[in-house]
Amino acid sequence: MGKKQKDKIVLPPDLPPEIPDDEVEVSDEDLQFVNENRGYASLFSTLDTQSITKHVTRVADAKDDALEKLYEKRLRKNALKKEKEETGIQVDRVDALPIKSLDGQLYYRTAAKAESQNGPSEEETGEDGNDDKGLVKLTKAEKRAKLKKLRKEGKKQGKEVPKEEVEQTPQSAVLAEVKEDLTTEEAFESKKSKLAELGNALLTDPESNIKFLKDMVQICRDNDPTIVKLGLLSLLAVFKDIIPGYRIRLPTEKELEMKVSKTVRKMRYYESTLLSSYKAYLQRLMYLEKKPLFQLVAVRCICTLLDAHPHFNFKENLLDATIRNISSTNEAIRKLCCSTVKSLFTNEGKHGGESTVEAVRLIADLVKANNCQLHPDSIEVFLSLSFDEDLGKPEKNDEDQKFKNKKNKKRKNMEGLNQLPDNDRKRSRLESNSKTKEEVEAEYKAASFTLDVAERRQMQSETLSAVFETYFRILKHTMHSIATRPEVNTGALSATVEPHPLFAPCLKGLGKFSHLIDLDFMGDLMNHLKVLASGGSNSGNSSEKCPKVLTVTERLQCCIVAFKVMRNNLDALNVDLQDFFVHLYNLIMEYRPGRDQGEVLAEALKIMLCEDKQHDMQKTAAFIKRLATLSLCYGSAESMAALVTVKHLLQKNVKCRNLLENDTGGGSVSGTIPKYLPYSMDPNLSGALASVLWELNLLSKHYHPSISTMAAGISSMNVAQNQVILSKTSPTQALKEMSLDQELTSPQHNGTIKLNNKKRRTNDPAVSPSPSSTSVASSSFDEDELRKKLGSHFMLLRDIRENGRLRKQLDKTTLSLQLYEQYKKQKQRSKPKKKAIA
Amino acid sequence: MRPLDEKETTAVFEKLFKFVGNNLKNIVENPSHEGPDPNPGRYCFRLHKNKIYYASESLVKRATNVARPNLVSLGTCIGKYTHGGNFHLTVQALNLLAANAKHKVWLKPQSEMSFLYGNHVLKSALGRITENIAPGDGVVVFSMADVPLGFGVAAKSTQDCRKLDPNGIVVLHQADVGEYLRMEDEL
Repeated sequence: MGKKQKDKIVLPPDLPPEIPDDEVEVSDEDLQFVNENRGYASLFSTLDTQSITKHVTRVADAKDDALEKLYEKRLRKNALKKEKEETGIQVDRVDALPIKSLDGQLYYRTAAKAESQNGPSEEETGEDGNDDKGLVKLTKAEKRAKLKKLRKEGKKQGKEVPKEEVEQTPQSAVLAEVKEDLTTEEAFESKKSKLAELGNALLTDPESNIKFLKDMVQICRDNDPTIVKLGLLSLLAVFKDIIPGYRIRLPTEKELEMKVSKTVRKMRYYESTLLSSYKAYLQRLMYLEKKPLFQLVAVRCICTLLDAHPHFNFKENLLDATIRNISSTNEAIRKLCCSTVKSLFTNEGKHGGESTVEAVRLIADLVKANNCQLHPDSIEVFLSLSFDEDLGKPEKNDEDQKFKNKKNKKRKNMEGLNQLPDNDRKRSRLESNSKTKEEVEAEYKAASFTLDVAERRQMQSETLSAVFETYFRILKHTMHSIATRPEVNTGALSATVEPHPLFAPCLKGLGKFSHLIDLDFMGDLMNHLKVLASGGSNSGNSSEKCPKVLTVTERLQCCIVAFKVMRNNLDALNVDLQDFFVHLYNLIMEYRPGRDQGEVLAEALKIMLCEDKQHDMQKTAAFIKRLATLSLCYGSAESMAALVTVKHLLQKNVKCRNLLENDTGGGSVSGTIPKYLPYSMDPNLSGALASVLWELNLLSKHYHPSISTMAAGISSMNVAQNQVILSKTSPTQALKEMSLDQELTSPQHNGTIKLNNKKRRTNDPAVSPSPSSTSVASSSFDEDELRKKLGSHFMLLRDIRENGRLRKQLDKTTLSLQLYEQYKKQKQRSKPKKKAIA
Repeated sequence: MRPLDEKETTAVFEKLFKFVGNNLKNIVENPSHEGPDPNPGRYCFRLHKNKIYYASESLVKRATNVARPNLVSLGTCIGKYTHGGNFHLTVQALNLLAANAKHKVWLKPQSEMSFLYGNHVLKSALGRITENIAPGDGVVVFSMADVPLGFGVAAKSTQDCRKLDPNGIVVLHQADVGEYLRMEDEL
């Protein structure tokens, strides 16, 4: 801030507006002066106006080096400003839409920019960056010092400017402008410094300086948006510090009438002033929050206040404002609100849980009001809710208490029995004793912030019901949108797809809190999930034509959630979720490696196939066959996950190893379906047991070494009968490892090493339970050795090739020699013939 | 031996539908590979002496050569008409039902015998149960090793089963493989 001012001082004022010579007014005094001293005026005749103007555009009295530095600085600052503008949160582009001229240049409304750029960004970051009292003070002190310096320099400039003024009168206009600028700036500075002083005083001694709060609130009503912002932020800092750790209850009239001591009166005055100015501040915030220019600042203030003091008066209003902005289109505001709500949920100790209930209910209402069309973030905050498990089991506690009570009663009775012969006085004293004890207990309870268990339980159940209400509403809404879609489609082909942005976080939340769902809801929930997992395809043939509304990932997530819900609520009953298996079976087919998330698929495989205890033989075989088939065309990570699942299933289900045998038909186990139907929709009816897992043979030639070894291991499973150890790797793990692998395996041998490790790990985990550090060491060792071996191998190969080449050459030369010899012989033979002829 | 008339067909199909749901289509359209015909035929239902048989077309064609009094059985007997005119599935239909069953119940090993002696399935015997069974649905009973043991009618929905006390009846007994020994003469 100060630096910028300095720049302004040293750098020249803008050139004066061009005024034709005849319009220039020359004062009488000047005329007289010139007339009297003609000698002086001689310099005017030699005056080079051009050079002067040039000179003025540069700076009169400054060294060139310094000047250059200054310009450099300014350039840098401009660049920085631009950067800030691009990344920054401050500039309201909406307010300053650029104007495009005819020649295609963009003109920004500079006034707006200057306004928002002028200082506050630095100021703000300074303000909320250092929450410490000390740091705030420091910045303020600095500010004041700079202000003083600034004024001094301003005066200096004032002195400097007249020097030129003597020569060029038209610059008076400029001077006026500059002065005006200075006065506004001064006003701005003075206001700022006043704010700083007030804030400082409040922070140092809030009790005695409490009345300053009103002044500060008054400053916030200023016309200058920058000042308003500064005021809001400094008030925020002040309030954050001085708000007490309890709720303020204003004294009733009766209490006011009572005579009180001086300190109490002072305290009352302090509290009432604090509260009233806090109220005024909040009202101002609420008002400004609706204005786009101030929205971010206001929301930041609201969020910070709520985060710091969720127990204080008017927290409902704060909460209301926060939740209202939770699905704002502005990213920064949304993030702020979300993080505030999250911290509300996680730090329940600060407000005793009341705000949690309130916030959750408000979000539920918001979802209801907006018909589930919100940003996913607004629901995702639920994930940070935490529910106390022990509160869910209140019986035990009660029983304990009952037991205790019984004991007490017994003892009392005993005592009573013992004391029956005693006189009445003693008994009355005992009674009074117990009475006082009860009173004390009640008072203690009221005084201490710890809530009753029952109360907390009630609050939790309220929260839960609101959360689940929201979730079910979203599910229903999604259902509805799916159900209505086919009808719409028949009417118009280009029906608008109603988005369901909240669906994914909703499923996530359901998965997380699945253990808390009431059993009564479960049936409905499962039915809903089933329809959603099927992607609405069971509503008739018409919908099969239209593209599925939900993505494969979402439908897979539905299956996963259903399984989680079932598993978490499964006490004694082992329920087989057949329909979801059917959906999964079909979804595996629809999965596309690039489009859908591999992690979700892997998780579905893990939860549904690997962790479930028993399966039908037919179903298992069908899944094995389909996974093996599709792992041929998946990416290596997904196919690794699929293969891990296949291995797991084969290890568990001995009968399914028939698939590994080399004859089709399946024999007696194949059931009523004598032929494999690859396109069957139902895993139970696919007749997979009648097929052979020929895919493994192909996969054992996979380009990725670990997949090929995995496939080979599976196909040799039947031979190695004694292999009982279940591999520990889950599909998700395998997927993760492989996707990491893919990033890492640029050098080829790296992969082979991994493969070695993996092989060792999966095949006999009992033998090598070596800690990771040693395995790492061994792997590095392996690498060296491998490199050596590979080197020697290639040397050998090259030798062999060289050898071959040499041999070929030898053959050639011998052949040519032989030919030559033959030729010679022929020659010799022909010579005698010639001779004979001759 | 004659094909079923309309009333009989609906009766049989309704009964089967309770157990197999939409897989009924599978039962009817299942291609048969019996006989020397190169193109597979279908299976069909035939009524013979109050019993309903499920047999392949080629078999039915050949069975016409046998005089009605002399024909004892053909294909798979799946049920019979009682004297009262009701249709009952018999235990021989179990294979057909088990392959296409919609609702299944798996029994714990220790309670298999109890079911095979003709008792109902109790909550305590449940090893596993498919989701959303409604009361009145047909349920096929399996052992934990996926061997079909019999079938029955659900007395309680899956949801209710959770809250049921261990001695509550979940599946009402209709037929079990123990009948092959107990009622050898009648079958």
